[in-house]
Formats: sequence, structure tokens, C-alpha cells
Amino acid sequence: MLEVRGLAAGYAGSEVLHGVDLTVGEGEGVVVLGPNGHGKTTLLRAITGLVSVRAGQVILAGQDITRWRPDVIAAGGLVHIPQGDLLFPDMTVRENLLMGAYSGPTWAERRTRLGRVYRLFPWLEERAGQLARTLSGGERRMLALGRGLMARARIMLIDEPSLGLAPVVTEQIYANIRTIKEGGMSLLLADENANHVAGLADRVYLLEAGLLVREGPAGELLQDEALLESYLG
Amino acid sequence: MSAETAVTPPLARPAPNEDAAPWRRVPLVTVGGVLLLGVLVPILLERLEIGDYLVTLLILFFMQAVVAQSWNLIMGYGGIYSFAQVALFAVGGWTTGVLAHSLGWNPFLSVLFAPVLATAAALLIGLPTLRLRGTYVVLLTLAFHELARVFAINGPRFISGGGYGLVTVATFPLGDAVGAQRNTYLYYLALAVFGLATFVIWRVIHSPLGAAATALRDSETYAVSRGVNQFRVRLILFATSAFFTGLAGGYMTHYEGGISTSVFDLSRLIDLLAMIVIGGWGTFGGPILGAAIVIGLDQVLVGIGDYRALAEGLIVAVIAVFAPRGLWPIIRDAYDRYLGPEPPREAAGDPPAETDDRGGPTGTGVTEGGG
Amino acid sequence: MHNTQLVQAVWGGVLFGSVYGLMALGLTLAWGAVRLLNLAHGAIFIIGAYAAYWVVSSLHLTILVALPVGVLTAALFAALLHALFIRPVIGKPGFDNATLVATVGLSIAVSAAALLIFNPEYKVVPPVVPGASIVAGVQITNQGLLVIAASLALFAVVYLFLTYTRQGMAIRAVSQQREAASLMSIPVVRTYGVVITISGALAGVAGVLLSPFFFLNPSSGFNPMIQALIVTIFGGLGSVRGALVAGYVLGLFESFVEVYLGVAWALPGVFLLIIVMLIVRPNGLFGVGEVRRL
Repeated sequence: MLEVRGLAAGYAGSEVLHGVDLTVGEGEGVVVLGPNGHGKTTLLRAITGLVSVRAGQVILAGQDITRWRPDVIAAGGLVHIPQGDLLFPDMTVRENLLMGAYSGPTWAERRTRLGRVYRLFPWLEERAGQLARTLSGGERRMLALGRGLMARARIMLIDEPSLGLAPVVTEQIYANIRTIKEGGMSLLLADENANHVAGLADRVYLLEAGLLVREGPAGELLQDEALLESYLG
Repeated sequence: MSAETAVTPPLARPAPNEDAAPWRRVPLVTVGGVLLLGVLVPILLERLEIGDYLVTLLILFFMQAVVAQSWNLIMGYGGIYSFAQVALFAVGGWTTGVLAHSLGWNPFLSVLFAPVLATAAALLIGLPTLRLRGTYVVLLTLAFHELARVFAINGPRFISGGGYGLVTVATFPLGDAVGAQRNTYLYYLALAVFGLATFVIWRVIHSPLGAAATALRDSETYAVSRGVNQFRVRLILFATSAFFTGLAGGYMTHYEGGISTSVFDLSRLIDLLAMIVIGGWGTFGGPILGAAIVIGLDQVLVGIGDYRALAEGLIVAVIAVFAPRGLWPIIRDAYDRYLGPEPPREAAGDPPAETDDRGGPTGTGVTEGGG
Repeated sequence: MHNTQLVQAVWGGVLFGSVYGLMALGLTLAWGAVRLLNLAHGAIFIIGAYAAYWVVSSLHLTILVALPVGVLTAALFAALLHALFIRPVIGKPGFDNATLVATVGLSIAVSAAALLIFNPEYKVVPPVVPGASIVAGVQITNQGLLVIAASLALFAVVYLFLTYTRQGMAIRAVSQQREAASLMSIPVVRTYGVVITISGALAGVAGVLLSPFFFLNPSSGFNPMIQALIVTIFGGLGSVRGALVAGYVLGLFESFVEVYLGVAWALPGVFLLIIVMLIVRPNGLFGVGEVRRL
């Protein structure tokens, strides 16, 4: 589904990723683990076109999307749930969700998808008319997830879903993501914490200082306490 | 004038490197040479037939360069988007004009009041305006321009002269002995004004105040957090800019024997803007270079007439978007590369030379080496 | 006598208010969506007016044809402005600087072009709806009624557009969180272009409908520009509601001052009001706090 080859990317003056290779198969849940500041977010942003790629390729379902604009990539089915949610603060919950389906063909289609998301997150429907900036941390995260679901995604990239959330809420979020994966969605998750991803990861990569240093099946890597300890502290 | 409070604990400060001081960066020889040239030019030009005309042109250049430099000081260095420059020029011009014409003062005396009143007007505008953010400065200075213009046209007779401005103002009384040399002496006067303005602006730019101003322009929140008093810095720059602009206005009134309401025309505004933009926004040499180019081109393209404002407007727009740094940095870089002295070995310890990045609120400060 | 003054003040206020609102609407949209302070707004205004004038005087067509031509010409100019001068600097740190200087330059260039093409003589643009009636001793022009109706209608249209249409919502999304918008597959740069074009069209409408009230000349754009700026800031940069309300507040204020205290006090009075507003509520009536300067 998604293939990344030799990806090098960074910001003005500094390179953060030095050549990353990874793949996400159809229906697969892939997790990139790594401490803060090592490039997880940059990796996701480079894939979705928010950060310019210096070298390498990004291939989505056989198509080279490396230099595509973010909005074109999103229209191609690669949905990115960014770190910090990036909601539209002065738009309502419902409007935020509808924007997720911007590329949808008709309003009827959008309303259908809205219904589906409401079924998954019933409380979103309760708060449909509320402005996004008045939501709590956990609610925002769920809205961001819901918004991502509104697009007809072939693969979802989720950046640090547990960031800034209380433990109870975090459980809920990962449960939701598990549900999404079980629906057949391909996932690429960037996370700092190995604890919650066990239920949804098929394969795990370890990212350190802009390079992927380990890769392996989730079952194997996530059990290796010593390894995780040394990478994630 | 210290614009930075001491945030770091008092450490043993390293001895200042005298050779790095701004005024050392331009060798005395160069300054002396330029001054000498300036003084000799009219004497040399006398011999030519069009010499007198060229001297007149130089006088015009000096005055325009002063105003351009002053405007660049607040816009390019200070990031203050003020459109009151022309109005302040007018305040200066009208002050001395009214004093000389209506009260019969000697122009040499009245011209001294031109910068004073212009500065006073600037402070009056600046006090409420400079605390506010950029868009408001644009609005309020535009409004001031409009108010000044309307007042100049419709105001009491001794100011508006029936809507035409002041048309019979005494010129500088240099005495009859001067005779044909009159223009030359006026030239030296203009040169003196230009020299003074250039020197002061140079010093301001290279002082802690100047550094504070560019820090504010490039990253306001950081500068303020380091103790820069935003309002005070801007006010001082604004006042300095107004001072010399008013002085130039005063000089021109007595040079031309009057000042008309056409100074408020948008064509004058775009002239000045073109000088700064073409020459080099936010650089020291830019406005001077720009003034020379605009005035020079105007002479060369004589037939251009009405198309001038159109051309200038388009050129300004194109350069602002596609070549925002203007010409000066290009020339200076070329000079450094091909003619400049070798940079000293321990380049890391040298303080940066003039910053010329005109970035907006999220701009990064880029420093250029050498000088 | 009292009645006449009151009617005059109210009529003037509602008319001014509609005018100001119309001018401010385009400006506030451009700021809200693109963070662009469009100082070429006045230039677009006169482009609309001059285009309409040209259609009427050179092509000898009715003002009813000239109106859409004027609006389209203005919109086209705005679209070009976006494509040539704004798009290249979107997202770059020098954006504010470049667009400010460029719009000033273009504004003066347009004025100069108008001078060259049409000469400095005052031009008369015919009203779309001529005629007037007298109500309580005050002349109520039909064109004035049209302006009021058009202004209110356009505000309503813009509001509905922004609230309920896909493109309108996209514009709001882009103005609130640009990156997220592009992740929603909203084409950001093209959206900017749409907003600026709409803003230009609004200025064009204002230009054609308002030019019968004054003598059109190359400098006619300057004052409406300043007025629009005042109203926009007073109402809150980026707020459509603000432009509407501020327009009428300022319009009525100015009109009442003019009628009861005299014309000379109108402008100073308005400035006083502005300064008070800037001190009390620096963000304007409905403005939200701005982290960025300009």
C-alpha cells in the first residue's frame, strides 16, 4: 500500500531524516517507535507533503507521490491525523467533520459518512454544534480521528495519538484506533510509547536519530523489554 | 542609549575588539575620499556647459536620498509601515515657508525649525500609533497624510495660499557677492544636510538601538522578552526619520522658493518607495543607490513623462515580490567577492555586519559578512 | 425642520453604512482568509468604475451591461493580482512585506494607468437606477436605495456562502488552520485565489454602484480605500459580521455628526471614534486576538 524508499527530509538548514525505508501493507498496522525529536513527526509530514523531501521516494499504491502537494496526496487516499490535532478552532464539531470529507463527491455522500462516524463516536453527534476549540483534549483527539475517517482513506497516518492525554482517555483512543484497523484500514502510527500499540501493530520499526534502526514483527519487538528500554528510556 | 537590559549575570566581559567597531568597517580613506569628491564635484562641473544643471540634479538627489534614507530607517530597519513620510516632508517645508513668508524670518533661521516641527508632528502621530500593530500604523499614517493634504489645500490662507501652496517664499539669502556661484553654495549646503543625515542614520543603524530595531522587526516576541522596549525604540527611530525628512523639506522650500500641494501627489510617494525598493530595502546603501537610479533614469528616459508613475508602480510591485532584497545587497556581495579584503581568520568571533533581511514576523535574520 | 434633519441623518447614515460595509467586506475577507492587507483594494474599486464608464461611454451600452462588465473586470484584475504577486510569496517569511509594498505599487500603477487611458477629467458614470423621491424634505435617490439593498444582499450572500457551501467552508478552514486544510485535500493556494477574486468582485460592485455619487477620477480609489480600512479595523480584521456592523455604526455616527454638528466635524469625529475603539478594544468590535503583526 505504502512504500517509502531512502527518504531524506528536513527543515531549512538541517536534515532530520537521513534515508528511511519502510512499507505498510494493505490492512497492516505499522508502528514507528522512537523518542521525541528523532524524526517521527518529520517522517509522517514528509510522506504527506508538508515537509519537502530532499531525497528518496514515497509510493502510494504503486504511484510515486513524492513531490505531490499535500492536498493532492490527501485526495489520493492518504489521510494524515497530525500531531496536536490541528482542528479548525472556530468551526463546529460537525463542520470539522464535514471538512474531512471535502473531497467527497456530494453532500449526500458526506452526510452518509458523517452518520458512520457518529456511530463510531456517538458523543460527537451530541456535541455536533459545539466549537472545536471548546473541546477537551480527549474530545479533540477523537474529533481529529473522526475527521480523518470522513475521507475515503486507503491508509491513515496517525501521529502520536496519546500526546497530552490522560491515561483513561488514552485507552479509549487506542481502542478506537483498533476498531478502525479492524475495519480493514491500513495504518501507519508514530508513537513514543510502546505500551498501547500492542493490540494494533503488526510490524514495528524503531526510529533513532532520523534512521530506522530496527524492524520486526510486533509480537517479537514489543516483548523485548530490554530493547525497548534502551531505545525509549 | 542602551536598548538591552542585562539579562545575563555580570560576567567578566571580553575586551571589545576595536577593529570590529562599525565606524572602523568603512576605512577613513573611503569616507575622506568620498567627501573630497563631493566637495570637488561642483568645481569640476562648473567647467561643463550643463554643469549647472548637473549640480541642480545633485542637489535634488541629495534631498531625495535624505528622505529615502529616513523612510528606509523606519520601514526597512524598523518594520514600521508608515506612509506619513511625504506629509512630514510637507510639515517641514511649510513650517519654514510660513515663518519666512508670513513672519519674514531669515530662511537660515526658519529652516532650523522645519525639522523641529516635523519631529513634533511625528511624536504626535507616533505616541498613539506606534504602540499598535502594523495594520493600524498603515491606516493612521495614511490618514495623517490625507489630513495633512486636505489641510494644506483648504486651510487658512497663509498656509494654503489659495490651494496652491506657498508660492513666493524667500530663498536662501546668500548675498549678492555670491553671484553666479549661487548654485554651488546651495550645493554645499545640500551636501552638508545629506552628509549629516547619512552620518546620523549610519550611526543609529549600527548602534544598539539599531540592533534592537532589527531584532524587533525580525522577531518581536523574542526581542521584547530580551528586554527591548519596543515603543521607545520605534519612537526614537520615527523621530529621527522625521527630523531629517523635515529638514529636507525645509531646504527644498527655500531652494525652490516655495512648496506646492503637489508634494502630496501619489507620484512623489511612489518615487520614494521605488528608491527604497530598487536600491535595497532595509540596507544602509540601498536608498542612496535607489535615489541615484531613480533620478538618473528619469533624466535618461525623458520622454517617459506620464508613464513614470505607472512604470515605478509596476517595478516596485515586481521587485517587492521577486527580488525583495533590491540591488544593494547584490552589488555589495559582488564587491565582497571580487574586490573586498579577505575576511579575518577567526571569522566566528566577528560581530555580524548590517542585517538586511526584511523578513516579516516569522522572518529569520540573515547576516552578511564583510562590509 | 427637526424631522428633516433626522431623516437626513438616518438616510445618510444608512447609505454611508451600506457603502462602507460593501467596501470593507472585500478587504476583511482578504485579510481573514489570506492575511493579506490589500492596499490595492481602492485600485480595484476604480477599475470596476472605469470599466463601467468605458462600456457606457465608448461602447454606448447601458449601465445594466456595464455593471457586470465592471464587476468581472475587477474580479479578473484581482485574480491576476493573486496569480502574479501573491501566489509567489505565499508561505514565505517576507509575505507581509512583499504584499504590502506590491499592493501599494500596483495601486499607484493603476491610478497612473487610469490617468493615461482616461485623462484626469472627472468622469460621470450613470446610475443603474436613476431618479429620486423626496421624503420629509430629504432627497432619497433610487441609486442610493439600490446601494443599500445591494450591500445587504451581498453580505447575506457572503455569509450564506461561507457558512453552507463547500467552497465557503473551505475558505474558513484555510483561514483558521492552513496545514490541516491541506490535509483535508483542500487546495490552499487555489482557495486563496478564490477569496481574492471574490474580494475583487465586491470592490468592483462597489466601484460601479458608487461612482454615480461622485466624479470619477484616477485618484478616486484612495479615499474609499482608507474608509474601507477604517471600517475593517473598527469591526475587527477578518470579521464579516464586524464589517457589516462597523459600517453602519461609523456611517450613522458620521452622518449624525455631519447633520447636527457640521461637515467639518465629520472626519475628526470619526477619527476620534476610531482612536477610542483602538484603545478600548484593539481588536475591533468582533475581532479575535492576533498573534501575528500586520
